[in-house]
Amino acid sequence: MNLPTLVFLGAVLAYPVIYAGYLSVHKVGLAQLRRGEFPFSGWENYGRVLEDPLFWMAMKNTLLFTAITVISEIVLAVAIALLINQTSIWTSRVTRFLILLPYAIPPICNGLIWSFLYSFQLGFLNRILFSLGLIHDPVNWAGNPDTALYAVTVPYIWRTLPFAIILVHAALQGIPRELYEQAAIDGANAWHRFRQITLPMLQQIIAVILILRTAFAFAVFEEILAITQGGPGDATWVAAWYSYKITFSPPNNFGMGAASAFILALMIAAIALVYLRAVYRRVQL
Amino acid sequence: MFKLSLPNRLALHVANLAVIAVILLPLAAVIIGSIQSEKSLQADTRRLLPPEVTGDNFLVILTQGEQRGRIFDQATYLPDNIKKFYRAFANSLIVAVSVTFLTLLFGALSAYTIARLRYRWTLFLLQANIVSRFVPAIVLMIPLYIVMRSLGQLNSLSGVILAETGFLLPYAILILAPYFDAIPSELEEAARIDGCSRLRAFVHIVLPLATPALAACGVIMFIVSWHELLIPLILNARPEFMTLPVVIASLVGDVFVFFNLMMAICLLALLPTVVLVALLQKYIVEGLAAGAVKG
Repeated sequence: MNLPTLVFLGAVLAYPVIYAGYLSVHKVGLAQLRRGEFPFSGWENYGRVLEDPLFWMAMKNTLLFTAITVISEIVLAVAIALLINQTSIWTSRVTRFLILLPYAIPPICNGLIWSFLYSFQLGFLNRILFSLGLIHDPVNWAGNPDTALYAVTVPYIWRTLPFAIILVHAALQGIPRELYEQAAIDGANAWHRFRQITLPMLQQIIAVILILRTAFAFAVFEEILAITQGGPGDATWVAAWYSYKITFSPPNNFGMGAASAFILALMIAAIALVYLRAVYRRVQL
Repeated sequence: MFKLSLPNRLALHVANLAVIAVILLPLAAVIIGSIQSEKSLQADTRRLLPPEVTGDNFLVILTQGEQRGRIFDQATYLPDNIKKFYRAFANSLIVAVSVTFLTLLFGALSAYTIARLRYRWTLFLLQANIVSRFVPAIVLMIPLYIVMRSLGQLNSLSGVILAETGFLLPYAILILAPYFDAIPSELEEAARIDGCSRLRAFVHIVLPLATPALAACGVIMFIVSWHELLIPLILNARPEFMTLPVVIASLVGDVFVFFNLMMAICLLALLPTVVLVALLQKYIVEGLAAGAVKG
């Protein structure tokens, strides 16, 4: 019964990962691809990747991007999950109904919509701020090298936050009400109840979100493609964008692309192992 | 749970309104952007709402450039990919439906064995799936491109379907396994004592009980597959095999394509999954939670 799964895991996941490792230590460009022979080149691809200042730029940006998005998402997810948990407030019920909406938006569309929002001349965000009288000159949100990376974190957080909120909200339902009632009798105020009961009970789900979101933010691609294409200059080059550009735009160095992607995969694999140990450790399933 | 004082209630209302505004902001942008001409976008760069509303952006996309309406009347250039809208929509639909079907079929079989058979190898299979879920698409795409190229499978929908099925199968298994685990095994055991094979028991007893699980997993698979960009982008370069996200991505570098047209095609591309999410919210919420933490 597991045969189809094993075939697929082997053919589409395991084999390509191994083959990527193989490519990363061979010279693979368009010429080699046409001939069908990939001469062995040892660590040369890794050497060239590690010597490339653009690669380090991409790594630095990826780490910064990941840190900003993951930390913001955890804080916002806990806050918004608590907010929609207030069933007696009718606006909370509205929020709860709308919360999954960003999950429905295709990432590439999300990127383009935000590129319209951010546009310097025509942008919707500047229009809103003008209408509210908050700015007097248009702001170049994504076109300024100093702010571009921060600008692309917002659409990414917007799109991926529902997932985190849903996990926290589900975990909130599992906290016994008696704990809160007892604490209230003991005279704990709202902040104490949050610190002493809610936060400890959410610890595990926060760890899950931290690991999952870190692994996926490491591989961010669509929003970068749609909003900045790595620009302005090289201000928003991230790891997946680096591998993609090195490989699929001239001079098409597949070997270097594979080497850089492999470095990314190893970093994410380390995160995956932490996940495996931390979350599925007491697996009965 | 606790009585809220009036100022607290007000603060919560304000917080909710802020969240709702942020959720709706991009939706407002895509709608307002799509119902105006590039002239009105450029005429007044500070104006929020267009002076006049037009459906021409949708007209030109939905008639694939046959009818241009007023705003594209003078246009000498329309991107070729816009003229393949229905082809791209159909491709996206074929890929998403096939991937959903295949991941459910294979995923259900594997998730069931993982949930029911407690052997060393099923635990290993589960762990392999968890690790596989983390493999970033870009790492797969470079070797897959070379393999598909040598197999002559570049520019085909089947190549994309196979790649996406493999890529999403681990996720499907992780979503389904906790549901199967929660179905009591007494019913199947009774059936098996009556001489039912394990596969028959699975098909006739377990699967009907697992309908909510299949719905949750299926709708998530459809959405993720409908959204997938990198796999079809790299495997398919010919317009007749492009999916909708690839067509949209191809407009990014095109300096002659203005935001009004882009927003219109984005709106058309996001509608199917928005409708799904609105209708099947309950299942998606359950499925997302099930796939992230063991049941």
